[in-house]
Amino acid sequence: MTAEAKDVWVYLQRNKGGLTKDSLEALGAGRSVADKIEQKVVGVLLGEGVEPLARQAIQYGADAVLYVDSPVFATYFNLRYIDAIFAMVQERHPYAFLFAANELGKDLAARIAYRAVTGLATDVVQLDVEDYTNPTLGSFKDLLVQIRPDFGTRLARIYTPRHRPQMATIRPGNFIPLQPDPKRKGRLERFKVEDRDYPAKVREVVELPPPELDLWGAEVVISLGLGILKDGSGRPRDPREAYRLAEQLRDAIQRRYHLKAVIGASRALVYAEIKELEGLISKANQVGQTGTTVSPKLYFALGISGALQHRVGMLQSGKIIAVNTDPSAPIFKVAHYPIVGDLYEEFPKLIEMVWETGHAS
Amino acid sequence: MLIIVLLKWVPARTTQVSQVGGVLNREAMDLVLSPHDSKAIEAADFLKRRIGGKTVALTMGPDVKLIPLMKPLYNAEVMGVDEEYVLSDRKMAGSDTWATSYAVSLGVKKLVEMHAAPIDEMTETIRRSGYSDAVKTKATALYQANLLPNKVYTELPPVRDSIVQRFLGGTITAERAVAELAKVKESLSRFIIVSGIKSTDGETGSVGPQVAEGVSGLLGKVLPHATYVEDLDIDDAATTVVSERRIGRLQQKLEMTLPALLTISTEYRPRESPAALQLETRNNNYRGKILQAKKWTAEDLAADVQKLGLAGSPTIVGTGVDVGKPPIQKILNQSLVFLKLIPQVEFEEKKYGPFKRGQLAADIPKGLTTRFRADGSVGVFDYGMLAEELFS
Repeated sequence: MTAEAKDVWVYLQRNKGGLTKDSLEALGAGRSVADKIEQKVVGVLLGEGVEPLARQAIQYGADAVLYVDSPVFATYFNLRYIDAIFAMVQERHPYAFLFAANELGKDLAARIAYRAVTGLATDVVQLDVEDYTNPTLGSFKDLLVQIRPDFGTRLARIYTPRHRPQMATIRPGNFIPLQPDPKRKGRLERFKVEDRDYPAKVREVVELPPPELDLWGAEVVISLGLGILKDGSGRPRDPREAYRLAEQLRDAIQRRYHLKAVIGASRALVYAEIKELEGLISKANQVGQTGTTVSPKLYFALGISGALQHRVGMLQSGKIIAVNTDPSAPIFKVAHYPIVGDLYEEFPKLIEMVWETGHAS
Repeated sequence: MLIIVLLKWVPARTTQVSQVGGVLNREAMDLVLSPHDSKAIEAADFLKRRIGGKTVALTMGPDVKLIPLMKPLYNAEVMGVDEEYVLSDRKMAGSDTWATSYAVSLGVKKLVEMHAAPIDEMTETIRRSGYSDAVKTKATALYQANLLPNKVYTELPPVRDSIVQRFLGGTITAERAVAELAKVKESLSRFIIVSGIKSTDGETGSVGPQVAEGVSGLLGKVLPHATYVEDLDIDDAATTVVSERRIGRLQQKLEMTLPALLTISTEYRPRESPAALQLETRNNNYRGKILQAKKWTAEDLAADVQKLGLAGSPTIVGTGVDVGKPPIQKILNQSLVFLKLIPQVEFEEKKYGPFKRGQLAADIPKGLTTRFRADGSVGVFDYGMLAEELFS
């Protein structure tokens, strides 16, 4: 089984605008792994009239796309999609199979993994390839190292040594899509599936507009944590004050540098459900493993201690600026620019810095 | 109807996590119900109020630890489960999602069979014994064991027209009783499984869909599943469940023929159920609660032990990884950086540089640093320098 399994497959999701950003990231992840083991990247695409999207996938790094083109696949219906994808896996035996770690990717991957009797590593934030030796199972060459947040305080390596494909869902925001290359060549292959009756049907689907607060697409994220409840001397402060300062910093960055900036929050602050912040901070603001993973150019962590679950949600950011009174706060482990000090003293200086110094573009 | 709720017990505190080789040691920790699972209990409770039946909780883990924890789940007047089962066996320790889903699927199968069998027993007894005390004795025993719905047999005063009572009272023939029992058995094959969207320890969200797949394989029929269910309703005949689910930016209405599995979103709010308990609902209910969780081992499940625990887990948890590489840090008001471009210099017969503006003045001899500081080539990293690095 192991000997014949080959190629790194990537499941491609689509919306009205084309392939989704998550899928392009997964393609990028697949490419990086496939290059290390000298295998092909194969995109898997289901839908109606999807050939142009298959060509888009080639531009973004796929060597081939295996696609189903049929009116019954126009709408997402999990059981039908799972049967089609499983038929492909059973016929072709991929070495690895990556899905985006969003609701749709997880809906499909879990059930396919069970049917294929193989492992599934979810929410993978880093991928690598290495030779792996286990005292009881033996040695395995070129195994996928699937790194995911583990409960507790660390990231864990997950291996699927004996079963194929090695399946993983890729946490959005942790891999970079390749630059599209219109000259890239690849093979498009249509896969035929037979339709059958299912004990379920999709009665209605509505594609909702993109969320108003776009944490994910922001170039600058200014995140607040529970530290805003107190100043450096430990005196309680009205958190709305910090929120207003965050708004001022956001507006300054937007006006002076034309960067898209949004306000984020740590899980602790969101879950604290602070009365004063009602209507200002909600789940939509939450950055972290259970919230949104972000990778902006600039990330401000203000009064955030930096639990692992927060760090894995922002550690791919370009430049990380952290303000905290505690010099041993874990956030400083990942910050490029640590600022040890009272948040309420440093905040105005940050705002002034944006207005008064540097040079506008 | 049989309503099965899958529950998971997770460590109460992240600061008190006991692991052995990447596997949580649940016996050594304080455990709480995974917060998302309370939504599954709410949904199960809604379903029971809506169409009647029995809510059964199914969990997995060390029984000595879990059975006392499960107790409070019975108590709530409105909410709460009727029966509890704990899958507990050393052979199951260290299971990943695949091996967990396999064990849980076997548990579901056993529950389904366990509730179908008494109907067969009643059918057999009526066929064999006809109008005799044996029928009443059998019915009473099964009723007391919480294994017959009120419409088959009950001692509740308001329900006097159960199948067995009508048969013994001479209202219906044995043939008719057997035919009605067959219908009850058929309706019991339309069970429903609910779970949380994910546990707060593993956070995979995989076990729900995988149990749907596992049960499909064991029962030889396709169980549809819906994840992230925000709203659900069921028809009066308890054959179809309609769910509203959110998949990224898609809002999907999915209609599933039972049996089916649903994972319940934190956004779920139960619909209002009919104010008065309808007769039909009450007829579908069972005697009540069995206030002692029951343990099932791998043997009780007739499990293939090769598919359980570490042996049956396709994935292996390896060593931990540090989160990210420590970045090159410039600490505000502390780090020393070059303030201007400095061409290569010679100091104590060694060459240093060239240095760029903003570069850390690290790895150079102390004497040289002192010289650079004195002539203004090196200074403390301040807000001005920070702004330059961030915005240029």
